[in-house]
Amino acid sequence: MSGRERVIAMLDGKAVDCLPVMPITMMFAVDQIGKKYYEYATDYHVLADAQVLTAETFDFDHVSAIAETREAPDCGAVVEYFDDQPPSVVESRALLADKSSLARLEIPDPLAGPRMHDRIKGIALLKERAGGGKVVEGWIEGPCGASADLRGINTLMLDFYDDPSFIRDVFGYTVEVGLRFARTQISAGADIIGIGDPAASLVSRKIYEEFVWPYEKRLVDGLHELGARVRLHICGNTRHILQGMGSLGCDIVDLDSAAPLDEARAAMGPDQVLLGNIDPVRDLRDGTPESVYAAMAECHRQAGPRFIVGAGCEVPRDTPAANVHALVCYAHEHAP
Amino acid sequence: MSLFEEMQQAIIDGKAPVVKELTQKALSEGIKPADIFPKAIVPAMDEVGRRMRDCEFFIPEVLIAARAARAATDILRPLLVGDAAARPAGTVVCCTVKGDLHDIGKNIVAMMLESAGFRIIDLGADVSAEKIVDAVRAHDANLVAMSALLTTTMVNMKSVIEALAAAGLREKVKVMVGGAPVTESWARSIGADGYGKDAPAAVDLARSLAAA
Repeated sequence: MSGRERVIAMLDGKAVDCLPVMPITMMFAVDQIGKKYYEYATDYHVLADAQVLTAETFDFDHVSAIAETREAPDCGAVVEYFDDQPPSVVESRALLADKSSLARLEIPDPLAGPRMHDRIKGIALLKERAGGGKVVEGWIEGPCGASADLRGINTLMLDFYDDPSFIRDVFGYTVEVGLRFARTQISAGADIIGIGDPAASLVSRKIYEEFVWPYEKRLVDGLHELGARVRLHICGNTRHILQGMGSLGCDIVDLDSAAPLDEARAAMGPDQVLLGNIDPVRDLRDGTPESVYAAMAECHRQAGPRFIVGAGCEVPRDTPAANVHALVCYAHEHAP
Repeated sequence: MSLFEEMQQAIIDGKAPVVKELTQKALSEGIKPADIFPKAIVPAMDEVGRRMRDCEFFIPEVLIAARAARAATDILRPLLVGDAAARPAGTVVCCTVKGDLHDIGKNIVAMMLESAGFRIIDLGADVSAEKIVDAVRAHDANLVAMSALLTTTMVNMKSVIEALAAAGLREKVKVMVGGAPVTESWARSIGADGYGKDAPAAVDLARSLAAA
């Protein structure tokens, strides 16, 4: 089976020859081609070169357009770029420091905004170069993460108590931005849309269910209506919101390492495809090929057959190639 | 419920205006400002830390509690200048290291340390080793607390420790580190004095380092 066939079959509940493997790579990928992260973030040719070479070298089943937020800068947020690490939104100059500015924000056209357009072109190139044999993954920000990018995460966390109606307004806005961006990514060739919603792990289950979940659900349903499959990744400790994450209807729930896969399986039921989730730093980067292989075996044991191999979050820069090979080797040597 | 207990509950509930009112009431009743810290603010924020550790509180709850505590400390700090009985538990220079703009974890640690009676010199995010050295010297700090969220920036913690040593300050300050990719073994490998896995742990660590 090609990687593409393997992933699609797993998501469709059909037989596969071995476990699919879909780790997140960004800085690790750009290091494979000897370029700086600034180039990866700003030039889709570099992103595509890095993703394709990394996926071929390590025999991943997907290529991905994942990178830092493209929505926030095209909405008007100030982003600081660094030479060789991911850009960051500048919170001290947050776009929505004044909440009333939200009423004046428009939904950016992904083909007009330079940062979103770069990703669209990257997806088209990934599709052209790798789409025959590998799944092409697009990426958007989830409502909590995207809103944190616009409002500032420190302030947004206070808004949950200070101004709940603003939370609903800004989450609603970011879902519209995300769906419009995703629609164009799907047209460009994305098979799967990843949703990154890192800030969602910072709130209580009560806040997650009351404020975050309804907008994540709206996003997931909208992506399905557009014909895409959906991968959800929430960085950090999600143990308290596993049940909610499992009821969104995502095709893949990609878990960070703080959430044990057996807890996720118990919370989400036998049919949910889980992805993950060895500790990217302690197990993958700092481990040995033998310990990586053993850690993946434990993840597989906990997750059961509906499982895709990956790390809990991005494969860190400086991870030994032998450790990444060991992770893939586990997938190749095991059927679900 | 005593006034101190009322203050504690208001801090835990994140009710800043109530805390402000109760602080003023305490002062008007002749309670010494230096007594309000150990009897109201410190125990309240210790309880917030416990709830955070036990996953009863998450970031929004901790932030509104810290904001409520600050409503009291903003009133009390000016009244404590020169009060020997109210010496801070220590002076902490805190920051997120060079190249890293992630600051919510650092902010929470800073607020909880402040509520635990430490004097905080918060240098913000994306802070160079030189600035940290200058701040340690200028404020006569005895602790440095550094955070990093990225594997690419955590290496800058080592540069800070080397810069403190080069400036002849390493023996004078204890260095504590934290952040998602940071581990106990990493802390040891760069010569830090301690690692805090979360904000409550950072408060415990700062207390033990300051007392050492």
